[in-house]
Order: sequence, then structure tokens, then C-alpha cells
Amino acid sequence: MGTTSGGPANTAIHMEGLTKNYGKNRGIKDVNLDVHEGEVFGFLGPNGAGKSTTIRTLLDEIRPTSGTATILGFDTHKDAVAIRRHIGYLPADLALYPNLTGMDTLTYFANLRGGVDWSYVDVLADRLNCDLSKKVGDLSTGNRQKVGAIQAFMNRPDLLVMDEPTSGLDPLVQNEFQAMLREVSAGGRTVFLSSHTLSEVQRVADRVGIIRDGVLVTVESISELRSKAMRQVEFVLDAPAEATVFEGLPGVRNVVARDKHVAMSFDGEMGLLLKAATDRFGVVDIRTDEADLEEIFLTYYDAGEGK
Amino acid sequence: MAFANVFIRTSRDRWRGWAISAASLTALLLFSMSVYRDIDLTVYAQLPEAWTSLFGIGENVDVGGLAVGNIFGSMGALVLAAMALVMGSASIAGEERNGTMSVLLTNPRSRTHVLLSKAISLALLTGATVFLLWAPIHPIAALLDVEIGGLYVEAIALHLYVNALFYGMLALAIGAVTGNRDTATGATTGVLVLSFFAVGLLPLVEGMEDLQRLFPWYYFNGSEPIFNGVAWGHLLTLLAASGALLVVAIVGFNRRDLKGKSVGTTLLDRIRANTLLNRLIGRLAGTARVSSIWVKTVSDYQTLLLITAAAMFLVMGVLLGPMYASLPEETRAAFDAFPEDMLALFGGGDLSTPEGWYTLQTFGMMAPLSVILVTVVIGAGALAGEESRRTMPLLLSNPIPRSRVVLEKAATMILFSIAVGFATFAGVALGSALGGLGMSIGNIAATATLQALVGLVFGSLSLALSAGTGRTGVAIFGGAGTALAFHLLTSLANISGALSAVEWVSPFNYYLVSDPLINGMDWGGAVVLAALAFALIGISLPLFQRRDIRQRG
Repeated sequence: MGTTSGGPANTAIHMEGLTKNYGKNRGIKDVNLDVHEGEVFGFLGPNGAGKSTTIRTLLDEIRPTSGTATILGFDTHKDAVAIRRHIGYLPADLALYPNLTGMDTLTYFANLRGGVDWSYVDVLADRLNCDLSKKVGDLSTGNRQKVGAIQAFMNRPDLLVMDEPTSGLDPLVQNEFQAMLREVSAGGRTVFLSSHTLSEVQRVADRVGIIRDGVLVTVESISELRSKAMRQVEFVLDAPAEATVFEGLPGVRNVVARDKHVAMSFDGEMGLLLKAATDRFGVVDIRTDEADLEEIFLTYYDAGEGK
Repeated sequence: MAFANVFIRTSRDRWRGWAISAASLTALLLFSMSVYRDIDLTVYAQLPEAWTSLFGIGENVDVGGLAVGNIFGSMGALVLAAMALVMGSASIAGEERNGTMSVLLTNPRSRTHVLLSKAISLALLTGATVFLLWAPIHPIAALLDVEIGGLYVEAIALHLYVNALFYGMLALAIGAVTGNRDTATGATTGVLVLSFFAVGLLPLVEGMEDLQRLFPWYYFNGSEPIFNGVAWGHLLTLLAASGALLVVAIVGFNRRDLKGKSVGTTLLDRIRANTLLNRLIGRLAGTARVSSIWVKTVSDYQTLLLITAAAMFLVMGVLLGPMYASLPEETRAAFDAFPEDMLALFGGGDLSTPEGWYTLQTFGMMAPLSVILVTVVIGAGALAGEESRRTMPLLLSNPIPRSRVVLEKAATMILFSIAVGFATFAGVALGSALGGLGMSIGNIAATATLQALVGLVFGSLSLALSAGTGRTGVAIFGGAGTALAFHLLTSLANISGALSAVEWVSPFNYYLVSDPLINGMDWGGAVVLAALAFALIGISLPLFQRRDIRQRG
């Protein structure tokens, strides 16, 4: 269990034994987690793992079966209204009012919220290349997502909660969006970002919490996770090789050798592996791929639990 | 088997609505036959033509004729035509609006194919419903010992079918040509309502009788098929028109660009598209309509309000005054003999006075119905609607308590009930003035106030159900269904002594029972209704506060 300590003074989100029962196999179980002020926290898990349930509980959309959570020191249920003055939220599977234009939409929420700096809205719209004069119902998914993102950013909130925010955005806009998240954290404000893709979170987050089947499996810094991160390594050698040459080396698993091609899963030190290869063969080509999230789960977090 | 595929899916999506309609109409037939059986029908011989013509009652009055004529000639025919037109406009234009048409057409089927499948589906479902409606008539009549041997039941059923088919095809054609579902629904409803009233009312006006031939409804019931059998000429006219509409639909649908998933464009939107005017008007209208939750809710439902209020003002208010004044003296005298029990079903009222006329025609059924329609739609849409459209999470992420959302939505609902009540008041007051009926303005205002309040009760019930469950269906059917049940209870309590012991539970008991058009304001009733409405709104607050927001509608 990777609960990281952090004093209440610099804790943006604090969850204690947070549990939400939805009936069989859904919801979240006993989640303990602290998110520090000023960090980008990646909340990672496969679809249906409990990411949105956690976020919806934090936002008082749904109420925990047991456990408590605070945001910026406020109780998520009792002080829900006070909390919402300080947060920007982009829900998963965003829906907006189709008959309003982007501008109308932002105006509506600005009126409910108060104190929105419209010149900042212009800047945001510019950066994300978002046309606010069109009706939301006539926008593509990605462009609708931009309106939702601007809505979350426009109030310069102390905490940004974003549930799978980059879905539907093209890569260029994703980059810009991630830069904006970094800027938020550079300014001392906090980002809680859920995602089901590791690579996305790796680019922006300082720390990552991994949730699976409603259970928070681990919390680690990105560098820790990187060092662990298993890769798929594939050599093309100058002569046919046996699998046994690589089997037994530290960090090597599942070796498959076929003529001059050798493929394996690997999470050790790359230098040792390269040495083992070059000692015996000439290396014609080498390819490494990041392992995907599911593989990491299967390798690191399932083994001991006898699921 | 391409037809089969599209057909099966379309039918599966729709059969429930049709089955419910058929079942309700059958229940109504059973109910009206048993009521008519118990009352003295001799007076019907002297009924004003306005009444008989409008409600499809023939000259040879008997129990079976009245019941079957009522169900098939007016109510059933309207319901069936409305169902067909909804299905017709959803067929092509509806799928385009939902964005599902482009997926459907990626299959190797031509547009003509898809359209024909939809048309066949419409024809078969309508046919099945007419069959469901027809099948129990003879058993019910036998069960209640009502004589229907002299009636051409099968003839009217056939007319009913062809009539519904025509309106379905009209909506299908308009939708296929324009790709706009709202245009299809709106225009067809307009034709339906206009022709229903035209064929009912034109024969009453000297020298205008022949004009009714211009309206499709004439070819349905103009020949009184229930008494005279099938009028093949009329049926062929409707069938030929339906066929022509199908051709128009095929040609129109094949020739135009498919519309993407989109939202409607209003006149205001077009004006705003003009960059010159955009800044000015956009600021005025755009920012105004999103200035707060209740203003936005008003803006969202403005069309519903405008249409309802206009219908109450013009048709149920203004028009009926001069119409009453133009009725010949002997007709009004005949009203005196109208059976009490029968009138009670429509809200009661003494037809020989203008107050009774308006009580029966306007305030009995249509007036509360109009307020209930508007408030139930808002009450259900307010909370459950935003949840099923998934906009609630974002709305609630703003620093406002949930109670404020409930209260602002409730405020809109109250405002709308007042607006519909006022439109009715203004229409009736003007109608009374135009017809020189000399009704008391104060009493009209009192009745309209009670009308707004009784409607608000059921809107508030929908709001509470919406707040408690988050399910739009529960809120709409709960509110409307309860209203219907209580309306029936109050009506029946007038006829049956057994029910009068429990009539106090019905909100309608505090609405018209005191005859406010004649006796003025019933303050006690008003207080009861207002208290009930506010209690239900009050309950909505903790109900909504306590529960989880639904993720899916």
C-alpha cells in the first residue's frame, strides 16, 4: 500500500478509508491517499477501475459508504460548496448544453461562479485553438472537450480535477494542454489528473497512484515507476541465437528466440543486457517498446496477491 | 433481408408506446361503455350539432355508438394519428438528428431501401395497434351487454387505420425532405389539429360546410363510417395522398445532403451568425439567457410555454366566447337537458350559461392539462433531465448548493404555471367580452388562479420524483399518471356516491368543485393547493440533497 505522508498544511487532497459500494465488483474500497499542493498527481487505472467513482465522491456528486476525504482542508461533503469555489472540474465523458455556444456555456458557469477574468478566457481559447462562437451541439468531440477544459481552467482554481481530459484531443492540442497543466503546478496550484494511459501521465505527473478493481494498488513517483517500467526488448543479431543465452539474466522474462530475432520482457539495467548480447553476437538492430499499463499491473501488482 | 433488419429494429424501439396507447384506449372504451350504459341517453337526440360533430357522435344515439364513436371517432383517432406522426418524423429526420442515420447508411443499403423499411414498419405497427384496439370491442360490448350490432365497427377501424397512416406518411415525407424532425412534427401536428377542429366546426357555420373537404380529417370521419360503413372514395383519397407523400419522401431523401448530428437553428441563431449584429444581439440575448439557472430554464422551455399559452389564449379562450354567442337559442336550451353525469366527466358545468360553457370546454380538462403539461415537463426535466443528459456534474461543480438548483428550477415552474394561467384568464376574459357574455372578470381570474395552482401541484410532484429518483420517466409518468388518476376520481365522485367519501384526497376537488366561475374565489381550496405544491417542492430539497447523482440517465 503506497500511502505517502504529507502534513495537512500542504495537502491538497486527503482521503481516508474512502469506500463506495455500488454492489458487486464496482466502486472503490478503502482508498487512502494524499495529494500534495503544487504537484500534478496522475491517477492511473484501466477502464472501470474506480477512477471516476473516486473523483465523483471527492466532488460530492456521490457520497462515500464509509471513510472521509478533505480538499484543501475542507470536508468534501459538509463543505462541498466552499470547496467548489477553489476547484476547476472536467468530468469524464463530458456533456454540455448543445443549444448554447461555447461562449454562452462559459458565461453561464461564470455567472454561477463569479469573478472570471475574460481576458484569460481569450488566452485559453487561443492556446487551445477553440472557436467559442459555435453551438456546442455542432462541435466535434475534441472541440467540445476544449470548451470543457477552458471552463475548468478559467477560474484559475487552486485545484484542477480532470477525469480523462485528453480524450478526443489531437496530439498537438494534447501537448499544449499538458503544458498548461505543468504551468498550473509551476504556479503552486495542484492538478489531479485521471487517465488510463501511462505515457500520458508520465509526461506531466510528478507522482502516480494506480487503482485497480477499486483498490489503490500503489503510489509512486514517476521516476520510481520509470525505473520499474518494464520494456519489451527485441534484438536482431548477426547469427541465430538460443533463448538460453538471455534467460537467467537479471530482469529478463519471457524470452522468445526465432532464428536471429530474440524478444523478451525486461526491467533491469540496460547496460548488462547489451553487454550479454554484444559479448556473443554482433547486434544488427535493437528495438525497445514501453510495456503497457496492463503488463505492469500483471508483472508487479498481481503476482503476490494471488488474485 | 434488409427490410427485415431495419424494420425489426424500428418496431422494437417503438412497440411499447403503441401497446400502451392501445391498452389505454381499450380501458377508456370499457370505462365509457359502462358509464354510458347507466345514464339516460334520450337527451342525446337533442344534442347540439357542435358537440356531436366535434366528438364524432352520430344521429342514431345509443350506448355503443357513443362509446365506440368517442374512442374511434375523436380520442383514439387523435392518439393514433399523433403516434404515427411522431414515428414518421423520427424515422428519417430523427435518426439524422441523433447522428445514427449516417451509421445506418454505411450498410450496403440504398436510402430508398431504408426509407421503405421505415414506411413499412410504420404501416405495420399502426395496423397492429388498430387491430389491438378493434379486437376487444365485441367482447367488451358482450360483457357489458351493450348492443353494437348496428354499428360498422370494422369500417371505422379501417378508416382509423388509413387516417393514422396518412399523418405518419405526412410527417415521414416532411422529415425526409427537410431532414428536420421538429419541422416534421410541428407541421404535421398543425395539420392534424387544424383539420380536426375545422371538420368539427365548419359544418356549424352557414355556407362554409363544403370547406371541410379541404381538410384530411373529412376523409376520415366526414362520412360517419361508424353508421354508414366504409366510404371507399374517401379512403382511396387518403391512400392516394399517402402514396404521393411516400414518393415525395423517396425523391426528397435521395436528392439532398445527409445532415450531420446537429442542433436546431433558431431565427436568433441566424441573426447572431451575422457578424455585424452578432456582438450587439449576442450580448443582449446570449448572455441574458445564461445569466442564471432559472433564466436559462425559462429559455430552454420557451417554445413549450409559448405554444401552450397561445393555444389556451386563442383556442380555449378567445375563440369559445363568440362561438357560444353564435349558438342558436334552441341549442342552448338543449344544453339544459344535458345529463349531469355525462358533464361531470368533462369537469362539470351547466351548459346553458356562458360560465358553464367555459367551465366545461376550457377549465374542465384543457386548462389544468395545459398547466400540468408545462410544469411536469419542467419538473421532470429540471433535475432528472440534466442528469440523463449528463450536464449535472458540471453544473454542480460550481460553488452553489444543490438546494439552489432545485429552487431556481422550481421558480421557473411556478412562473410558467402563472404564465399559462394568465394566458387562459386573458383569453377567456377577451372571449367573454367579444361574445358579449358578461362574465365576471374577477371570477375568471379566480378560476385561472386555481387552475395554475392545481397544475403546479402535479408539476411539483414531478419535481419531487425527479429529485428523489433522478429518473425522467418516473418523474413524467408519476406526475402525469397521478394527475390522470385524481382527475378520474373527482369526475367519478360526481357520479358515484361511493367515491364521494374519498374525493377530498384529490387536488382537483379544490379546483372546480366550488364552481369558481360563478361563485368566485375558493380561498380554502387555493390554500390547500398552494400548501400541497410548496410541501412537494420542500420535500424535493432534502431528497435531492441526500442522494447520489446518477451517472447515466
